[in-house]
Amino acid sequence: MSGPLLSVESISLAFGGLKAVNAFSLSLGRRQLWGLIGPNGAGKTTAFNLLTGVYRPDSGTVSLEGRRLNGLPPHEITAAGLARTFQNIRLFPDLSVLDNVRVACHLDARHGLLAALLRTPRHLAEEKAMEERSRALLSLFGLEERADDDARNLPYGDQRRLEMARALATAPKVLLLDEPAAGMNPREKDELTDLIRGLPARFDIAVLLIEHDMGVVMDLVEGITVLDHGETIAVGAPAAIRRDPKVIEAYLGTGAVDEAVDEAVDEAVEGRA
Amino acid sequence: MEARPGPSAAVTALRGVLPFLVGAFASLLLHFVVAPASGPFATKLVMDAGINVILAVSLNLVNGFTGQFSIGHAGFMAVGGYTAGLVTYYGSMLLWGSPAAHGGFLGGGELLFLAACLAGAAVAALAGLLVGLPSLRLRGDYLAIVTLGFGEILRVLLQRTGDVLPTAAEVRRTPLPELATHVGGALGFTGIPFYTSPFWVGIFVTVMLVVAYRLKSGSHGRSFLAIREDEVAAEAMGIPTTRVKVTAFVLSALFAGLAGGLFAHLVGTTLNPRELGFQKSFDVVIMVVLGGMGSISGAAIAAVILTLLPELLRSFSEYRMILYAALLVVVMIVRPQGLLGLGEIWDVWRPRRKGTGR
Ligand SMILES: Nc1ncnc2c1ncn2[C@@H]1O[C@H](COP(=O)(O)OP(=O)(O)OP(=O)(O)O)[C@@H](O)[C@H]1O
Ligand SMILES: [Mg+2]
Repeated sequence: MSGPLLSVESISLAFGGLKAVNAFSLSLGRRQLWGLIGPNGAGKTTAFNLLTGVYRPDSGTVSLEGRRLNGLPPHEITAAGLARTFQNIRLFPDLSVLDNVRVACHLDARHGLLAALLRTPRHLAEEKAMEERSRALLSLFGLEERADDDARNLPYGDQRRLEMARALATAPKVLLLDEPAAGMNPREKDELTDLIRGLPARFDIAVLLIEHDMGVVMDLVEGITVLDHGETIAVGAPAAIRRDPKVIEAYLGTGAVDEAVDEAVDEAVEGRA
Repeated sequence: MEARPGPSAAVTALRGVLPFLVGAFASLLLHFVVAPASGPFATKLVMDAGINVILAVSLNLVNGFTGQFSIGHAGFMAVGGYTAGLVTYYGSMLLWGSPAAHGGFLGGGELLFLAACLAGAAVAALAGLLVGLPSLRLRGDYLAIVTLGFGEILRVLLQRTGDVLPTAAEVRRTPLPELATHVGGALGFTGIPFYTSPFWVGIFVTVMLVVAYRLKSGSHGRSFLAIREDEVAAEAMGIPTTRVKVTAFVLSALFAGLAGGLFAHLVGTTLNPRELGFQKSFDVVIMVVLGGMGSISGAAIAAVILTLLPELLRSFSEYRMILYAALLVVVMIVRPQGLLGLGEIWDVWRPRRKGTGR
C-alpha cells in the first residue's frame, strides 16, 4: 500500500464555545519526522489527545495504514500502532523503571491468565522476552543503571526519557512526543535530539514532535505544522516556517513573549556551552 | 537472540507446581501434627486466621493492586458461603439422608465439600461479574457505593429467606430452586456439616498466596498495578483498563467465595446474614490498608494479627471497633501506604527494591 502511514483529515474539537482544535489535518509517511508547534494554548496537546482517543473529534477522521482509528478507545488505538508521551509526565511512579517499560510490553504477551498462574513454558518464555526487550530499550535511553529504582525517584530528564522508552515498548508505528525536551538542560537536549533523530530508522516509525524549543525542532524535522488558537496557520519546511510572517506574528502577538525570551536565553546558553 | 539451553521441560513443570506441593505438605503437617498437639482452641484460631488471609489477600487484588475501592467483600463471601452450604447441607441429605459430616479425611463428605466450595467460588465470581461490569466502567467512587449497596441488599434478601429448614423426607420432594430459598433467614443457616479443617484451610491459603504472587510478578498483574498508578497512562500503553479491572474484581470475588465456603463449614460459626454484613467487609478493608495496598505478605500478616488481637484483648472486645478506627487513623497519618506499601516482607532486608518481578 502506498498511501500515507498516518492520515488525519480535518479533525475538530470544541470545549464548550472554545474551538481548541479546528480542521486539523496531517499526513505522515513512513520514517518521517514532523513537528507540531504553536504558542501556549494553541491546541497541540489537544490534537494529540484527539489522535490517541482521549477525546473523540467532533468531526473529521484519523486513519493509520488505511484503518480508521477515531471512535476507538485509547488502548485499541495504541494497540493499532499509535503511542504517545505526556507533556505533564505520567509514569507509574511506584513501579520500578524496568516495570514501567515492561508494562508497556504487555501487547507482546499472548498467554492467558491461567498460563501465568501455572507458569507454563510459554508464559516464562514471553516474560523473558519482555524483560530483554525492556532492558534493551532502557539501555538505549541510558537508563539501564536505574532499572530497579522506583520511577518516582528519577531526575526530571530521566523521567522524560523513560516516558519515551515506555511508549516505544508498545511497538508503535507512529510515536507522538509531547515536549520531550521540556525541563532538560542544553546538554541533555542535544543528546535527546540525536536520539530522536535516530528513532525512525531504528524502529521503523514515524515521529510527530511537539516542542517549544525551536532549536530542537528545526534541527530535527522534515516539516512543521503551526497551530494558533486551534487553527493551522502554516505548514511547511523549517526554513520557510521560520520566515513565515503569520508564524512570527503568532509567537510575538500573544502571551508568548516570555517564551521568546526563554528561547533567547536558551540559545545564549547553548552558544556558550 | 542467543540460544541458551533453558531448563528442561520437566524442571519447568516441577517449578510450576512446586509451591503447591510445598503448601500441600505444610497443610498435611498442620492438620496431622500441629493441630492435634495444640488443641481445638488454637486450631480454630489458626483456621479463622487462614480464612481472613484469603479474604485480605483477595481484596488486595482490587483495592491494593488495581487501586479501586471495594467495600462489599463480605457480600461475595456470603454468596460463596451460602452456595457451598446449600450444596453440602441438601446434598448430604439427598446422598446420605442426613446433613451430618460423612466419611473421613478425603472421604465422600470432604469431596462433596470441595465441590461445594468450588461451586461457591464460581457463583461468587459470577456475582462479581454482575456487580463489577457496570460499576468498573465508571471512574471514581462508584465501585465503593455499588459494592456497599450489593452487600446490604444481599443481607436483607438472606434475612427474608425461610428460617424453617425442611426435613430429609421433605427435601426429596422439594424442587431444587425452592431449596435454595431455605437458608435459615435472619437466624442463620444452622446444621451445615463441619468439614473445614486445618488441611483445607492450608490448601486454599496456599492457592491464594501462589496465585497472588504469580499474578504480581507477571504481565497480567503489572497491568493491574499500572491501573492503580495512573489509569490514563495505563490505557495509553494499550491496557484495556475496564476489562482488566473487571478481571481483578472477578478473581477477588472468586476467592472471597472460597473463603465463604470455608467459613460456612467451620466448627463454631453459624452462617448468618448479620455476621457477613458491612462490619465484616470493613474488617477486611482494614487488614488491607494496614498491611499495605498491594503487598501480599503485608495483607496476610495484617489478617493474622487482626485475627489474634481480639482474642488477646478479649476483655476489651466492646472497644474493638474504636481500637481499629484509631489504628487506621494512626496508619493513615504515619504511613499512608500501609506497613509494607507495595513491597513484600522479604524486600525489607534488601537494600534496594527489585522490580515487582523475579
Ligand atoms: N479538558 C479541557 N477542557 C476545557 N478546555 C481545555 C481542555 N483541555 C484544553 N483546553 C483548552 O484548549 C486550549 C488548547 O489547549 P492545549 O493543551 O491543547 O494547548 P497546547 O498547545 O498543548 O499548549 P501548551 O504549549 O501550553 O502545552 C487551551 O485554551 C486550553 O485551555
Ligand atoms: Mg500542550
